[in-house]
Formats: sequence, C-alpha cells, structure tokens
Amino acid sequence: MSALIIPAYIRSDWDRRCLLRLLDSVEKQSLPFERVYLVDDASPVSYEVPHKNVDWIKLASNGGPARARNEGVARAVAMGIDDVLFTDHDCILHQDWNKNMSTLLGKGAFEAVGGMTYPWGKTLLDKYHEVNGTLAGKWLLPDRKELWYMPSLNFGMKSFAAEEFPFDERFPTAAGEDVDVCLRLRSKYRIGFCPEAVLWHDFGYQSSVTGFLRFLRLFKKYKSSSATLYEGHTVLMWDASESIYPGNMHEPHL
Amino acid sequence: MSLIYKLKTAQPTFLHGIHDYLGEIRPFAERVGNPLLKVPMVALKSLEWAIYRWHKTPIRRFYGVKGNELIYMITNACNDRCPKCAIWERPESRAERLSIERFLVCLRRLHQNLYQVTLTGGEPLLFKKDVLAIAEEAHRLDVPMVTITNGRFIDQEFLKTYKSFGHILVISVDSVQRDKWNEFRGRKSFDIVMPKILLAREILGDRLRIQSVLSVESAAEVEKVIEWCRERRIQHNTQMYQDFGTTFWRSTATSQQMIEDPTPCAARKNICVYPNGDVVKCFDHRRIPGAKTPLGNIADQDIIEILSSKRSVEVSRAMKTCNLPCKSMSCNKPQVELFK
Repeated sequence: MSALIIPAYIRSDWDRRCLLRLLDSVEKQSLPFERVYLVDDASPVSYEVPHKNVDWIKLASNGGPARARNEGVARAVAMGIDDVLFTDHDCILHQDWNKNMSTLLGKGAFEAVGGMTYPWGKTLLDKYHEVNGTLAGKWLLPDRKELWYMPSLNFGMKSFAAEEFPFDERFPTAAGEDVDVCLRLRSKYRIGFCPEAVLWHDFGYQSSVTGFLRFLRLFKKYKSSSATLYEGHTVLMWDASESIYPGNMHEPHL
Repeated sequence: MSLIYKLKTAQPTFLHGIHDYLGEIRPFAERVGNPLLKVPMVALKSLEWAIYRWHKTPIRRFYGVKGNELIYMITNACNDRCPKCAIWERPESRAERLSIERFLVCLRRLHQNLYQVTLTGGEPLLFKKDVLAIAEEAHRLDVPMVTITNGRFIDQEFLKTYKSFGHILVISVDSVQRDKWNEFRGRKSFDIVMPKILLAREILGDRLRIQSVLSVESAAEVEKVIEWCRERRIQHNTQMYQDFGTTFWRSTATSQQMIEDPTPCAARKNICVYPNGDVVKCFDHRRIPGAKTPLGNIADQDIIEILSSKRSVEVSRAMKTCNLPCKSMSCNKPQVELFK
C-alpha cells in the first residue's frame, strides 16, 4: 500500500494548471495509490480539485514544503500505509511510476527510493538540466549501488523511515530540505535508485531567453540552502557522489 | 591564549579555484553528446559554478541539523598500560580536571546539534559516576552516546543502568588470546575482562561493540578478534594504529599510504574536549598549522561562543585541506564506515 504526498503552494494560474496535469497523471497510474494527499500550504490563489480520491488538506498558514510533507506523512502513517511517495505539483508521473517505486521498496533492500527525473520542457535550459542532472538523484560513489541523495520530487520512503526521519520544517522553501532528510536518513538506512520510475518536471521555461532569469534564480535558491547544509552535515556531505543523468542511470551492480 | 597566528599554508589560492572549476566542467562537458551544444552547455555550467562559488547568501545557522559529534576525553588516567598508547603516562591532577557540571552545561548547549556524544580517555570508567551522569543527561536530551572503555570496571549494575539509557558501549579488544591480551594491555587483565565482555553482550545486546587497533604487532590477533565477534554477532570496527607519543607499536601502513586513502576526513564534524575543558576541533590538532593552541576552555567559556569565534571558523577551514594520516582514526571517519 502506498500513498502519494503532494505539497502545493499555488501562486499563479501556471501552478494551478501544473497541479491539475499532475493529478491527471496520478489518476492514470497502472497501480493506483491507496491514498493521495494534496497538502495545500496556504496558497494565495484559490483553486478547485475536480479529481476524485484526493485528500485535500488545507493548512491554515504557510509553513514550507517540509511541514506540508510531514502533515501528509502523519496522515498516511495513521492510515497504516506502508510506503509514502513524494512528488511536486509541477511534475508529471509516468503511468507505472507508483508500481515501480513500490516494487523496489517492497523488495526490502532499501528503505527509501528515488526515480529518474526528466525535464518536461524542450528549451536549451531544460536540456541543460537533463545533462546536469539538476533534479535527478546522486549516486554514492564509488560503487553506485545506492543514492547519496534524491530530490523530494521523485522520492519515496517506507513509512517507518519517514516517521523516524521527518523533513526539517525550518527549511522555509523547497531547497535543501530534501538533501537534509536524505543525509540524516542515510545514517541508518539506504536509498535505492529505480531508473524505471520515471517522471517529468516542468521547470516553467517558456523559452531559453525568457527563462534565463528563472534559471539563475533557481541556482541562487539552491546555493542559499547549501550553506546551511554544509554547516550541519560536514560528514556525509563529504562522501563522493555523482549526479545521475541519462548516460549513467543504468548501473550493472544495482 | 594567543589569537595571533598565521594560516597562509591552508588559504585557498587562485589555482585552487581553477582546479575546482576544471574538476566540475570537464566531466560535465564529456556528458554533452551533441558537439553543437557543448559551448552553450559549458557556459551554463560555468554560471552555475560561479553562483555556487560567489553568490553570497545569509547562512541560516539554525540548530537541529544533527551534524556534530561531541567527544569528551574524560580523563588521561587509565588502569591499563598498553604499549600502543601513551595517554596513560600523563594523568591529570584532580585540580586540573573539568567539573562534570561544566561538561553537562556544554552538552545542554550543543545537544540540538549533536548526532552523538562520545566518551573516551584514558579509561572513562575510572569515573563511572560521571559517565552515568552524562549518559542520563544525554538520554534526556535525546543524544545517542558512545563510551569507549577497556572493560575492566564494567559490572552488572553499571551495564543495566547504562542499558536503560539506550547508549552504545565500545570495548577495546586487540586480542582474544590470554598471553597476547596481557601483553597488549600491559596488565594481566584477560581473565577479568573477558567474562565482563560476555556479560555486556548478554545485557546490552547489539548495543555492545568491539574495536581493535591494527598494527604490525596486532595484525594477526585482530583477525581472530573479528572472527570472535562474528561468531557472537558483535559489531566490530578496526582502527589503524596512530603514533600518539609512543613508538612501541608500528603501523601496518605508511603515513603516505594513510594520506592517499581516498576516504574523506570528517574531522570537521568533531568538537573535542580535553580532561581540563580545553576545546579543539580534532584531538590531533597539534599537527594542523594554526590549530596547536586550543580554541577555548569550557570551564570558564560558553561552548557556542568558542565555536563561533573567528579562529574556530578558520581552524575548521584549515582542516578542510589538512589531509594528515590521522584521518584514518575512527573519530575522523564518516560514521557509515564504522562498525560493520
């Protein structure tokens, strides 16, 4: 049994359309989710969710994606869900995403799992993210048998691990909180990689030119969180890692 | 304590920057299959690299990211006379010893930042009451604790109390043969300690760990210890011998081999406290340029104040590149490498 947790902070019509597109892909899963928790983080834009079987949780105040995910985890654990999977509102799931993520978690070798993320857009900036592996996971070197970390947009954990290692709610934005939780998680558990669990992420670039500032802002945001992470995780941050990209996603030892 | 020091040797240079840039760009450029895309892709990667290198953002130094280990060398004194170690030769006087209350204050101040507090020595259980006081406080603060002992002073009452706090006990064992044991310990303690190890296994279960020091002298024995632990399902860790003021033992690896080991040194996570309350960032700080003098003393200073000082930050920065043989010590290794 798996539950999907989607933290959502809807600020524009583009965000709203992204969310509906994601929920369409959720409905088309070959293995349906036991529960889908859409945790609205006090969005400034009102919207409707026409999809059935979505538990729409509205938080009273904005607390960041970490708090929203923890809220979803608490509900899933209370329902006795085995696996909690996470994605973001600007993603689109492959129809077998849940099946593949749950299968890997079900095998028992890993307590957490990450999938393969591709950019949705076709601009040069999207291509860059694909080659760079910006939102893909990172292999733990030298063996490439497990992940150093996996961004929370394509991530899943066994419920007991999610309970034991909640997201740190003091990360105010969607930057760094997923690295932090993975580094803490890895002190006890392992994160596996499932290349067949595919999803697409929409970076929101209209074109390479108009999207350029958005591109710079993205990395500035990540930099702002990395300082905190280095302060707190001097041990595991030093483990050698390598971004996953299409060229190294299939590893013979996995 | 003088704050005047020079740290030129460890300052990043322009060449470091170039090296770092090329280290990022080269593997990335190899990934770009389409030759027409190489230039724009490398340009974008350069921008990303520059943002990470130069973009200034406020550091959100909040407590709660449990990334540090507080290591307290509670005493230099020891009831064994191991030839591998010279710490027991310099026992501190009673007047020199830090009051336990001051250490507990330090622990309370730091607890939200700690993934572990470790007690070492000398022999910590010479001060069993203090060890249990720290164990109780660490339990209350939800900080896991590890005590490294030679096992001579453990008893049923101590083990039961220690177990109730859920902490880990590490016993140093370099041989499971009576004659070698007694030789390695410098005392005839085999028949005293071995039954206690078995008692600890019974009471603590998987909270008991064994650690051995690997040297030329102990190499054959350590293999037997590993097998002995495996048979009893006790997690074991091997630590490379380091010269800490004694030359009776010899390392199995040269200093150069230890330096070339690709395992990263994780010493920067450590906050180390000497028996007199002196704070350093690594017990081998004397080898690091600019780090010889302690950062402060928790007997009369606040630990946060000590760690936030400019000097502390600069010593920490120097340790990024110090790359010394002591990185093979258990305390300087990433936790995932220990106790398998």
